[in-house]
Amino acid sequence: MFVYEKKLQYPVRIKNPDPAMAKYIITQYGGPDGELSASLRYLSQRYSMPYDRAKAVLTDIGVEELGHLEIVGTIVHQLTRNMTVEQVKKAGIQDYFVDHTAGVYAQAAAGFPYDAASFQVKGDVIADLAEDMGAEQKARVTYDNILRMADDPDVIDVIRFLREREVVHFQRFGELMGLVVDKMDQRNVYAVNPAFDRKK
Amino acid sequence: MSNKESCSYKEGPLPACAPLAVPMLAAQQSAEPAYESADALAKGTLFPGLDLPFMDYVANCPVEDTPLAELMALDFVCQELALYLDTHPGDKEAFKTWKSFTALAKEGRQRYVEMCGPVTRADTARFDSWVWPEDPWPWNNGKAGKK
Repeated sequence: MFVYEKKLQYPVRIKNPDPAMAKYIITQYGGPDGELSASLRYLSQRYSMPYDRAKAVLTDIGVEELGHLEIVGTIVHQLTRNMTVEQVKKAGIQDYFVDHTAGVYAQAAAGFPYDAASFQVKGDVIADLAEDMGAEQKARVTYDNILRMADDPDVIDVIRFLREREVVHFQRFGELMGLVVDKMDQRNVYAVNPAFDRKK
Repeated sequence: MSNKESCSYKEGPLPACAPLAVPMLAAQQSAEPAYESADALAKGTLFPGLDLPFMDYVANCPVEDTPLAELMALDFVCQELALYLDTHPGDKEAFKTWKSFTALAKEGRQRYVEMCGPVTRADTARFDSWVWPEDPWPWNNGKAGKK
């Protein structure tokens, strides 16, 4: 069950429209390494996790990622609200505009719509947690690259916050990996898949 | 080769009995030191050791001083400590700190609700009418959210 909180995790106050920037940043809404992928990945991987700590980390980080999805949606909204048709043309986002006007749609920077093929639920503890660590790194690099493109301090400030969260989540998934590996057969952690091969 | 020589930091081979092909990452040892709550929110982490910014993109404008920002900062510290506790459930000190911040966040939430409106839908029960649909919605600042 989820209860909505009518506030963001981090304040977003963007004063000036910049539709070209919105078209890059939207990739963290619906792109392959974006926050929608992150939340669905973690919240879906939970079901096959045999260990309590793994269920907790995936739940708590997955829910935070939903909060980040809302932050990214807010950034895109504030960068495109009050924009004029002239600004749309100048930014070169006519293709997005004709399909979505100033709405926020889940797509990648390159324009393809959100696709769950961008993440996996393997049903194996080490495989899933290794993907999660990689996912945090890929999202961090995406934010690094967005920072390279941004010049508005209002945008930079919140992207910087979101990027730092990837670093913290990477640390927690790494610690979790150590904790779950300790519960496995120490002579060969790959001998069985503890999410499937139940003990007799 | 003495054990001391073979184990100097980042040098020498792993002992033959070390687990190979197992992903390993050094665990955080303690929830201290920690940033003060407004600083933690501005930086994106409670923990100085995890504060690893890209190039010179560091937090240089402090989060503004409003009931909303205060609540965000307290909730953020609770979230950071919760993630830490998920992988360090035996850390009694951190659990104590989390409990005290959770109490502070509850007070901060009450102050914010009184001044600005409901955070959760259930908060609407403290008002005289159904104010839930009214601004500020979180994505509409500038227009609202400033009260």
